[in-house]
Parts: sequence; structure tokens; C-alpha cells
Amino acid sequence: MKQSFFGLLKKIIQTGIGKGRLLMATTGLGIAMFLLLLSIQMHTDFDQLLYNQQNQNESVDFLVINKKITNDMMGQSEKSEFTPQEIADIKKQPFTAAFGFITANQYKVTAAAPGDLHFYTEMFFEAVPDTFIDVKSEDWKWQAGDNTIPIILPNDFLNLYNFGYALSQGLPQISQETIKALPMKITISKGLLTQEFTGRIVGFSDRISSFLVPGSFMDWANGKFGNGLTPAPSRVIIKTKDPSNPVLVKYLEEKGYSTNQDKLKYSKTKVIVQTIVSVIGFFGVILLLFALLVFSMFIQVVIASCKREIQLLVTLGTAPRQLQRYLMRQFVPLYIFTAIISLVVITIVQWKAAGILAGMNMFVSSWISPATGGAALLVIVLVYIVNLRSVKRYINEIS
Amino acid sequence: MQLQLDNLVPIPLRDKILQRTSEIWNQAVTFTPGSFVKIKAPSGTGKTTLVHYLYNIRNDYTGKVLVDGQPWNTYTKDQIARMRQQQVSVVFQDLRIFEQLTAQENIELKRVMLPHPYCTAEKVTEMAARLNVSHIMHQSGKTLSYGERQRIAIIRALVQPFEWLVMDEPFSHLDDENAQKAADLIAEECRARKAGFILTDLDHDNRFAYDTHFNL
Repeated sequence: MKQSFFGLLKKIIQTGIGKGRLLMATTGLGIAMFLLLLSIQMHTDFDQLLYNQQNQNESVDFLVINKKITNDMMGQSEKSEFTPQEIADIKKQPFTAAFGFITANQYKVTAAAPGDLHFYTEMFFEAVPDTFIDVKSEDWKWQAGDNTIPIILPNDFLNLYNFGYALSQGLPQISQETIKALPMKITISKGLLTQEFTGRIVGFSDRISSFLVPGSFMDWANGKFGNGLTPAPSRVIIKTKDPSNPVLVKYLEEKGYSTNQDKLKYSKTKVIVQTIVSVIGFFGVILLLFALLVFSMFIQVVIASCKREIQLLVTLGTAPRQLQRYLMRQFVPLYIFTAIISLVVITIVQWKAAGILAGMNMFVSSWISPATGGAALLVIVLVYIVNLRSVKRYINEIS
Repeated sequence: MQLQLDNLVPIPLRDKILQRTSEIWNQAVTFTPGSFVKIKAPSGTGKTTLVHYLYNIRNDYTGKVLVDGQPWNTYTKDQIARMRQQQVSVVFQDLRIFEQLTAQENIELKRVMLPHPYCTAEKVTEMAARLNVSHIMHQSGKTLSYGERQRIAIIRALVQPFEWLVMDEPFSHLDDENAQKAADLIAEECRARKAGFILTDLDHDNRFAYDTHFNL
């Protein structure tokens, strides 16, 4: 009959004595790990919602900034332009994560509705770097030679028409789909030079109140129809991590710049979510500390209850290291099991949450983030180190 | 491994010992490696205390116990554990058997403490047969008689490699016939390892061909 050394140790060092404590410690560890991972995962998800380009309709962190038009400035459009110094200053502010110009057209634009709709208007175009646009569309591209220009309209514009103009004038209201299906006749001109294009509305922006065309088109058209000068922008767009940042709000006020105040208000949601995440994480940490404490107490009780046996084992030549390894082997599978359970639960929660959010047009990964997995590993390592220390300490005390 | 005593005096027995002469206490003693040493000692002269000092489970003494020229307290716990697994073995007077294990498990524990056991399980069976304890190998330690425990403790001490075997009245619970069998086995195992032993006992005996005698 062959038995391993650890098999024999199992008969000598009874860990059953602290089973209640061990169960408590493991449960505590499990809940703590779940809360910690949840908070980290929520943080990552929220970051994804804010910064991932897939997510539309999330305007919280993009601010279109312009100078306030005052009575003094009227008639002097150059006064509303940003100077290169002002632009450099905005760029170097700590809250500016990304910066883009809004480029205006330097040519005349007219739009006409197709067929016998008898709609004709003069209009303008602007362009911003694609990363600042909240509409994602396959059609949002243009290259020299294309006869079709994709256009993004402000959502507000359609609303103004549908609920203000159309209702009061007895005109039909138009759905987004209908507008998207309507080809517009776009004519751009400068003096005698004219060219016709077909304009297609590809989306509606909540973020930027302007008629947007792709930057490539704007550059081409300004080159061909413009005055050859690079105009100073009068509107710029910045990406910022936290629009509610007091420094940002103060900066705008001091410089006399204005932006969509409503967007600053939205950011409060973010603060609330982050507070909740922090609170969950905080409870996770506290619970983890308690779990570590209970583990330590369990180890102490087990070692104290087997004091005589452990002393005899050491007398017979068992190395303290062998005893440590034996005791740790009782715990490590528990941590790994707990971590796996927590990760599985978090994965399920994440998967479900991703599904629900996708239904609301918000996209987060349906898998947990590497940070969450890393955190689970980190907790295991932490618990291992703390427990190894208690085991070493108590074994040393009695051997 | 060399064992030396340098003016060793147990603190609890200090006054008593200094009143008389001893060949061990308060002397410079060197135990020659590989020799069979008998230390004869009347009750109360510190026989078990000496064994505990030699095996380093007590240290309430003045003077030194030198192991390879170094006092015990210069060795770390892991170094001491390694010595107890490979260089020095022991049979305690109070036997120290785990009652929750069977006789066989008590021996096995010591045998497999080393990742590569020194002797085979068959060797253990053979030794148990020689000491007439084969029939109790599967009994729990709790139910063993003192004589049985003593023989199990002897076998347990013999399953490991050692250079010194320290024994404290190892035959106190055995009849002459069983004691002689145990002594023969011990002598054989020591010679196989080229090891020495230090045996303490109350009386004179001729069970071994002792190289050295001391009076405690």
C-alpha cells in the first residue's frame, strides 16, 4: 500500500476544524472578487461607450467650440475666427484629448430636390475629421471623380422641419428613411465655374449642428472652387474625457468661447456612473480585506489545532517548507475555483449586458476585458501571497 | 557529520551536575563518526535531556553542541530539517508515534518524507517481520502496546539515510529476545550506512559491540 507524503499529512493535519470559516472566507473571496471584477468591467464598458467609434449618439465628450457672437463683432466675421495662437492654446490644454477644425466651404452651394418637389435652397457645407463624426455609414466616403456626395444633416434640422415648418405650412412630414432615399441636386459654383453633383443624406448627427460632407470632398472642392487660401476656422471641435471638468468650463468662460451647454449637463450621468463603479469597487476591496482576514484566522485555527502534530512532524524532519506547501495546496484550488466562478458569472453578465445595450444602439464587447481577467489573476496572486505569509508565520511560531 | 560537545551543561540540572563528575556534562567530547557509543546513565542525570540536545529539540543549556564544528543555532530550520531527513535519525524514549495513523503509515510517513525514499516498501515489510510486528502494521497507532510502538519507532528511524542514530532507551519495553533482534537490525543498518549511533540506557548491556562507553 503506497501513500504519498501529502496523503499522510492529510490524515495528520485536519483542516476540517475550520470548515465554517473556510466556507465563509471562500464565499467572501468570491463576492469580493465578483464586485471588484464587476467594477473594473463596468469601467471598461463605460470607457468603450464613451470612446469607441462604433457608438453613435454619444456626444458627451465632443464639444464644438466657437466664439460668442457679440454686438461688437457683427459684420466682422474675422473676429469670430480662431487665430493660430488660440488654436495652439486650446490644443495644449490638458482636457483636449483630440482637436479638429471645422472647415467651411469657400464656394456657393445650392441644393434642389429631385422631380417636381419645387424645393431649392442655397446652403453651405462644413467638414470635420471623420473621428469626430457620430454617424457611421458605409457611404461616408468620397474621392475625386465621384458624382455622389454623402451628406450628414443635423438631427435638429430635420426636427425643425418636421415639427415646426411642415406642421405650420401644411407640408408632409418626412421620415429619415425618406430623406435618405431622396437624391438632391447639388450645384457648387464660384463665379462662372459650376459643377453638379448628386447629394445623398447618409445620416443625422446629434453632435455637430452643420451640413457635413467628407473632408476629402471639401479639400477637393475648396481647391478647385476656393480662393486658394486656407481659411481660419471659426468653429473647432475637441474631444475631451470629461466635459464636466471645471477647468474646461472655466477656460471656455474666460476666453469667451461657447459650446453646447446641454452637453456639459449630460456629463453628470457619467459622474454618477463612475461614482457607482467606484463604490462597488470600494466594497469589493473592503470585502476582499475581510476575506483575507478570515482566511488568515482559518489558517491560524488549523495550525493551532494541529500544533502537537506539526511539532512532531518537524521533529521527525519535515521541513517547514514542506508543511507550507502542503497547507497552500489545500487553499490554492479554492482560489482558482473562486476566480473561475467569478469570471464565468462576470462573462455571463457582460454577455447579457452587451445584448441589452446593443438593443439600445450602444455597443460594448460581449467578452470581458483583459483588464478584468488580469484583475482576477492579480487577486489570486494577492490572496496567495497573504496566505503564504500567514502560513509561514504560524508554522514558524510553533516549529 | 561530526558531533561534539563543548562544556555542555543543562541549565535546569546545573547545580546537581557541578557537584559530581560526568564524562559528558561540562566536558569537551567528540563522537567519532561511525562509532557505536553507549552512554550509561542512572535516572535523573539528564539522559533524555542529552538526547534532546543532540537532536536539537531543546536548547536550555550553557556550552555548545557542535555539528560539523558549528553550534546548532547557526543552522536554519530548513537546514536542520534536511539533516533530520538525511544525516541524523532518532528513537525517542517516549516513542512519539502518530496515533491517528496506522503502524505502517507511521513508518511510511518517514520513508516518503524524502522525495526519493532511501529504502523500499519491501524493506520495511522485511524489517517488520524481523522485529515480529508484521501482524500489527495495519493497526492504528492508538491501539499499539508500548513494546509494539517501540519497535515501530525503531523501524521508522531506520528507513532514512543517516550518519548518526540517536536512541534513548530504545529497548526499555522489549523482552531480551526482541531487544536482541532489534539491536542486530540496528547494528546491521548502521554498518550498511557506515553510520554511528549514540545510545543512552540505564544499565550495562552487551547487545552491541560498543566502541565507546561514557558515564553520564
